[in-house]
Amino acid sequence: MTELKFNANSCPCGSGLRAVRCCEPEPGALALQDNTVLLDSQGTEATRLFNEKKYAEAEALAQQVLDVAPNQRIALRVLFEIRKAQSRHEAATALGRRLGALAGPAQARAQANISFAQYLVAQGRHGEARPVAAAALKATPKDATAQHVMGVVLTETGGLQEGEAHYRRALKLLGRDDGLVLANLAWNLKLQGRMDEAAALYETALRLRTDNKRGVGGLAQVEFGRGNRARAVAVLDGALAQWPDDRTLRLLRVLADLAMRQPQAVLDRLGPQEALMAPEILACAQAHDQLGQLPEAVNAWMGARRMQRERSGLVYRPEPLLARAAAYKAYFTADQVQVLPRAGHGAFTPVFLLGFARAGSGLLEQLLAQLPGFAAGDEFAPMAELAEALPGLAAGADYPAALDELLVGDNLRLPDRLRAVYEEKRIRLGLARPGVRFITDRGLTNFWHIGLIKLLYPEAPIIHVLRHPYDLMLANMMHDRKFEGNAQAGLAAMAQYYALHAGMIRHFRGQLTLRYLPVRYEDMVAAPERVLREVLDFIGAEGAVPPGIGANGEAVPDPLPQHFAGRVPLYRHAAYRHRAYDAAMPHLFDEVRDVLAPLIEELGYGQGAEP
Amino acid sequence: MSQAQAQPGKQVMPLAEALEKLAKLEQENKLAEADDLASRMLAAMPEHPHILHLAGIVSYRNGRVPEAIARMEKSESLAPDMPLYPRNMCEVYRGAGRLEDAVRAGRRAIELAPKDARAYFNLALILYEKLELEESVRVADQAIALEPDYPEAHFERAEALLLAGRMKEGWESYEWRFKLKQAEGMLPKTDKPQWDGTPLPPGKLLIIGDQGFGDCIQFGRLIPWAALLCPQPIVAASGELQPILKQIPGIGKFVTRWEDTGEYDAYIPLSGLPRLAGIGTDNVPPAGYLAAPPELVEEWRVKLDRLCPKGKKRIALVWAGRPTHKNDKKRTLKLQQFAPLFARDDICIVTVQKGEQISQAGGYYGRAPLLNLGPEIGDFLDTMAILKNVDRLVTIDTSVAHIAGAIGVPASLVLPKAPDWRWLLEREDTPWYPSIKLYRQHEAYSWDGVIERVAAAL
Repeated sequence: MTELKFNANSCPCGSGLRAVRCCEPEPGALALQDNTVLLDSQGTEATRLFNEKKYAEAEALAQQVLDVAPNQRIALRVLFEIRKAQSRHEAATALGRRLGALAGPAQARAQANISFAQYLVAQGRHGEARPVAAAALKATPKDATAQHVMGVVLTETGGLQEGEAHYRRALKLLGRDDGLVLANLAWNLKLQGRMDEAAALYETALRLRTDNKRGVGGLAQVEFGRGNRARAVAVLDGALAQWPDDRTLRLLRVLADLAMRQPQAVLDRLGPQEALMAPEILACAQAHDQLGQLPEAVNAWMGARRMQRERSGLVYRPEPLLARAAAYKAYFTADQVQVLPRAGHGAFTPVFLLGFARAGSGLLEQLLAQLPGFAAGDEFAPMAELAEALPGLAAGADYPAALDELLVGDNLRLPDRLRAVYEEKRIRLGLARPGVRFITDRGLTNFWHIGLIKLLYPEAPIIHVLRHPYDLMLANMMHDRKFEGNAQAGLAAMAQYYALHAGMIRHFRGQLTLRYLPVRYEDMVAAPERVLREVLDFIGAEGAVPPGIGANGEAVPDPLPQHFAGRVPLYRHAAYRHRAYDAAMPHLFDEVRDVLAPLIEELGYGQGAEP
Repeated sequence: MSQAQAQPGKQVMPLAEALEKLAKLEQENKLAEADDLASRMLAAMPEHPHILHLAGIVSYRNGRVPEAIARMEKSESLAPDMPLYPRNMCEVYRGAGRLEDAVRAGRRAIELAPKDARAYFNLALILYEKLELEESVRVADQAIALEPDYPEAHFERAEALLLAGRMKEGWESYEWRFKLKQAEGMLPKTDKPQWDGTPLPPGKLLIIGDQGFGDCIQFGRLIPWAALLCPQPIVAASGELQPILKQIPGIGKFVTRWEDTGEYDAYIPLSGLPRLAGIGTDNVPPAGYLAAPPELVEEWRVKLDRLCPKGKKRIALVWAGRPTHKNDKKRTLKLQQFAPLFARDDICIVTVQKGEQISQAGGYYGRAPLLNLGPEIGDFLDTMAILKNVDRLVTIDTSVAHIAGAIGVPASLVLPKAPDWRWLLEREDTPWYPSIKLYRQHEAYSWDGVIERVAAAL
């Protein structure tokens, strides 16, 4: 006779349920979904307790119900909400995922997935939220909330035009203006560079929802981007008078101070660093840098990064990046790429601007945008999306191995089709207007996709903006920006990520015939006219470079890339700024010297090479 | 000398067995294992001359030359009368570029073992490197006197004679090349005789593209001469050479596999034709026997016009050869060693490099723009067509130099101090290719000043 054993092991996800009632259910042992309605009354009771803030009782009852029927929707929802509120993210994620996967009426499925997607969005986990939001949308395509959530997810994952379409559908389904949807749509348009439309929408949205603090912040950023700095500052000052404790609004105000080079105002506004959060301390670091207080600047950014590591668990995770680099390097070899088909001539010439974050590709784009025939395409470029979509289109393995499918039958013409998709996306952004011959593309992830660029635009110019690696380290340590693999976690991590970035570009240059021109940030700020002339000659653009050209030209492009918001008169003091730091703190770069020294030498910034 | 103390659970191998195993690992190219064993043996017996010697060879094979020399010198000082040690050190010193030390070791090896043909051969090699060619021939002759069937010694003799311009004698010794170990499989397994230069009926002579691509291109000019005596010869060569060798008039058929040759009465390697034709330095048939197809030249012209910045001189560049070539270490440079070229902003570098070394172009950040064209080159016809669209080729001693020479494109060829025999001595020109200018090392193994001279003359 078989002895029956009670399996009391708790689920590793931390839900508080037994594993066999949570993430490791016994196949086929679950009650039919319809039969779980017998426990609805208990689930409703747990909901009541939750709403009355009797959380311990609500949790206990929900767990009891779920031990009987792990797929009881109402109880599962209660436990999900409790774990969410407790910030027990692994458990909340497991419960949210199970809730969304339950069979049942479309409305219930949609509601569960919307709730889970919103939770993921709030966590900044937009990539994970995408299939969840899609599941909600498929269940109830006429639900405005589902459309709205999809808009948020797409906007935050770079699908700007697609996100805009979902926001507009949400508004149409609502049949009225909605302050929140309009504000989110305005943010989307801001990211697309459609600043005037964004400003108008924000005005409407904020009339409808006067309490939308994020919306006020968005409006301020749009106004700043349009060059209406006084108006932006007034909006922020007004909002801070109304909500003096709002740290996001205060941080925006501080960033405006920094952009206007008012560093002391930053330090005065933020007060003692002990009470600040990491992004605020990083702003202090920039303020100290502007004031020439270099040890204070370093202390600030080091402290902020330490805080991010110790309090938020921020840690550089290079393994997936290294695996990706190895896979790409193994695939994109001269012999392999030589046999792949290439696209023919396109509708316009993209000019790819490569460069590590804060190297100056934005500055180059600002300079080029002032010349006739150029449109500034900014960071939102579709090359990464195409790489992601390729396995589906070619019905092959993962990228880049899926490119092998291009050798077969109809897929020979796939590069042309992919190029057409690329172009359509650029055209929809309003970039390919009459008179435009060159559209810049400074997609931050393009350094991964030079192989694909080679197939779609075999002879497109690739301009690589170089800058002294130590300067890059300093600039990126001081600025609050998220990197792949959390490379912002510290100086050593940033150096390793930089080496990975440089290694990918080196690999592609070594294996492919590219129309590649390196330009140096230091030359660009010292002699912008000469560098621009060199760039124009290289890409075959006629026309004169206006004398005295700088990055703060009066004419702003439309659409307006967001980095134009920070444009300031061209300055030289940031070139080789590491020297002053090195002089003040000779050991500052010790931990990254071994990683960066060979790259510094290779780039020509080595001993005796710096002017 | 103390033996290692036996420890519980630790396997102890008798010394003779361990030495044998170490030598075997090295010979079988199991270098990591050999390294490990050598380190362990040295730790146990740091003063044992033969362990030191073998460990030195392992270090050398692993690319750690200074360590190799230190170990081997110590070994020699501990056992100064062991002839094997200076004999091997002679080669290691050569690899390190220390030719004087190599000569000293070579002479010491002969002194200790005056009947060892291998010791003479090693010394002959060094003397070639030092361009003491008469002495090299004399020492090679001593090796041959001791061991008449010593192919390496004959071949070394041939190279020294040819480099000295003594072509007729050189060609005779050159015939020994097919008895070298590395020549195995180069000739067909056949009972037919090697051609002696007398007439044969049409289609009955098999000409074999036996050596590297460069040799085949260089000696290809003699195919029409052979075809005068034996019309429509069959040419067997690598498929990569087919598009260019087929341009040469007189060929009957071109094959890439032995089984496709059909019946023939005699065979001759391409590199055997100069001997039969009596080629010296003053009767080399002219270059210009190859040409790039005009439509391909035009195609590349259009492409290069698009890809190269306007108004700059186009300089094609090859910096590395096939790594398996016996003299590759002597002839190959790093891309970065061409820095004097890269400092010029009036030129555009167009690299026509192929193979693994193209990856070096990825780390190039010189002043002159660089177009890494190698990845787009499909075959030798592409290379020819590209060369027709540049102002000059700068190259090491590799097949691309021969292509440029054969089609009359101006080229600057950088050579080691002791070059391959075909480039002769001292002269800046070559009877084989009038469009090529030679830039020689002033000091063995040192490229100092060579690229500067090339850049200054552009």
